Amino acid sequence: MSVVAHLPHRTLSLADEEASSPPAMELTGRRRMSAAERSLAETIYQEFRADPRHEEFVLGCLNCGECTTGCPAARFYDFSPREMLQIAANGDATTLWDALQEKIWSCCQCYTCNMRCRFGNDIAGIISVMRELSVRHGVESTRRTLAPFGRSLTLLMTVGTQVSSDMIQPDFFRDWGPFATGSDKAWDVSPEIMRKAIPIDVLQTTRSAWEVSVQTSLELFRIYEETGVLDMLRGLDPDLTEMLVDIIEERREEFREARETHRARLETMRGPVATFQG
Amino acid sequence: MLSASEIRKVMEERTQHQKGTGKKVVDVREEMERLEEKGELLIHRIRPENRPVPMQTLFGWTKRIPTDRLWHHKSCGQCGNIPGYPSALLWIMNETGRTYLNEPHQTSCTAWNYHGTATSNPVALAAVAARNFHRAYETDHFPLIHCGTSFGDYKEMRKLLVENADVRHKVRAILRKMGRDLVLPEEIVHYSEWVQAMAPEIVARKKFDLGPVVATVHEPCHYYKMIPEDAIYDDRVYGGQRPAVPTGILLALGARVADYSTWYDCCGFGFRHILSEREFSRSFANLRKIRPMVEEAHADVAITSDTGCVTTLDKSQWIGKAHGQAYMLPVLADVQLAALAMGAHPYKIVQVHWHAAPVDRLLEKMGIDGAAAKAEFLEYLQALKSGRAPELLHTPHEEIEQYFAINKGQVLPEEGTGASPPTTEPPAGVGRALP
Ligand code: SF4
Ligand code: SF4
Repeated sequence: MSVVAHLPHRTLSLADEEASSPPAMELTGRRRMSAAERSLAETIYQEFRADPRHEEFVLGCLNCGECTTGCPAARFYDFSPREMLQIAANGDATTLWDALQEKIWSCCQCYTCNMRCRFGNDIAGIISVMRELSVRHGVESTRRTLAPFGRSLTLLMTVGTQVSSDMIQPDFFRDWGPFATGSDKAWDVSPEIMRKAIPIDVLQTTRSAWEVSVQTSLELFRIYEETGVLDMLRGLDPDLTEMLVDIIEERREEFREARETHRARLETMRGPVATFQG
Repeated sequence: MLSASEIRKVMEERTQHQKGTGKKVVDVREEMERLEEKGELLIHRIRPENRPVPMQTLFGWTKRIPTDRLWHHKSCGQCGNIPGYPSALLWIMNETGRTYLNEPHQTSCTAWNYHGTATSNPVALAAVAARNFHRAYETDHFPLIHCGTSFGDYKEMRKLLVENADVRHKVRAILRKMGRDLVLPEEIVHYSEWVQAMAPEIVARKKFDLGPVVATVHEPCHYYKMIPEDAIYDDRVYGGQRPAVPTGILLALGARVADYSTWYDCCGFGFRHILSEREFSRSFANLRKIRPMVEEAHADVAITSDTGCVTTLDKSQWIGKAHGQAYMLPVLADVQLAALAMGAHPYKIVQVHWHAAPVDRLLEKMGIDGAAAKAEFLEYLQALKSGRAPELLHTPHEEIEQYFAINKGQVLPEEGTGASPPTTEPPAGVGRALP
């Protein structure tokens, strides 16, 4: 008789499962889920299968493991692109939900797997589809995973650049900036002066990667509004989203005022600069 | 692993599988021509004024690399924390007499964020790309993409906009609301391709010898693993088996390029990881890249051509001390090393002080007096502190440009008809590099 047969084993009813407390994971790998989670998992699974990219990115799988062999994330995490592709191709609502909890966030998006898969699967792409869905539906573990991104999301949504030099501080990302070599004292100047020493005017700011014109940032925000990105972000972090809307409202106001100030010059111009109202 | 022959084989097999979906075209440029004829988009063409240089891609197709009248599509990561990257590039353009526009009317591609947090979607990414493309078009300057990820993303977005009518129509409708229209560049061009095209002119201006320097190359993943058919290959570089950039310029400048076993691995950037799970980025960069580069290849410098790669490889090494790693390998972009070889100021132009791994020994090997340059820079910093105006690579922007993407006499869409092909020349001197 196999050893497995002697292991404690019983079939749980749904009521048992919901009534019981952690551990959240069973030995089988099947996650204990509340009724609400089950329903959300099913919704996400249906949307995942209906996404037009599914058909385009998932073309078949030999289980050859070529993708995993070259995968950087597989070296350091309990993660494999082969498993992700298998879940995308043959999984169900529960296995997809399991993957969304942590594994999808291991991927580095390096596209090495795509380059090694003879089937031509877009594994990096299908992982992004899974990520998008868990962001859009505000999956709790995704909120936790992305919690540190408030600052960079604010920059990205308002001026369209990911980082700024004032993120590099002696007590945070110390090893990134001019502080790195431990020679801050030798420089004896502020970060603002350090930026002034870059010979490109639009880079001489600490608040963004470069100065972005107000028109450009408003056009970008219009794109986020029109393409559902703002709504998506609302699912992830409603407070942050409201703050972004406020910032943009202020910029719109600033833009309208600038239209008045520069009216004479603008009247001579054609194209977007003349037509865009903010 | 990932040699050109293998990638070609994978691509060919992939095309067979994808034919079933009926969605894929092989050369996106041919389909662009058809869509332009149907009035669905406009092609931003490379013109004689752009002084193009032909190069070969993975399948031997010709890709024309424009070398003049360029619109700088800056990288948010470079500008934010390794600013010597863009300043070295602009400096070389000035030295070689190339004209360009460097504007505040550009956003990043936003793909760092997408690959890190997925808080976007393909229509948004495509619209962001198309907004930048249109701005470059209306200024009549050809877009030059600084970042490897922007380059990869824009190749993907161009393909998506060509292949997917639904996305195309949605993006076009959004652009029209802001007085813009759908314009796709004839080629998506990475700055390292420009550097390669300019190699003869760069070499002709060489002041310092790279002969004593052993360089290892990290090939940025998004340069050649995303839409691989657009990457540049050259039989004279690795026998045509690995991308010709950024290695080509190193060979041209006389550096000794050494191989190492994990050349195909990513750098460990991870998009999300570099900001919020740095233990991964640090471990990967050190164990899979820096160690093999130093211990197998005995490198003096690691050269790459992407924002994230320079950042990760450079700024992760500090932690190596904890593991008894007794060295720090300088990490620079190809364009920074080329500028140094041409005599650019290591601090004022190449901004080496933003890098974490010290470059002093490298400068010494090249015969550059790093100590004198540093002393001069420290003086310059003090002068800036006491209110001296900064030295600039190009004419500064007017105050009105903080608000408006103004018309400086560039090409504009015909009123009421959307975009139209270039008809007018911008006045001389606009955005032209200072001598
Ligand atoms: S390389 Fe492709 S076919 Fe092989 S296991 Fe990975 S996804 Fe499946
Ligand atoms: S894209 Fe993600 S899954 Fe694919 S090889 Fe890179 S890290 Fe692994």
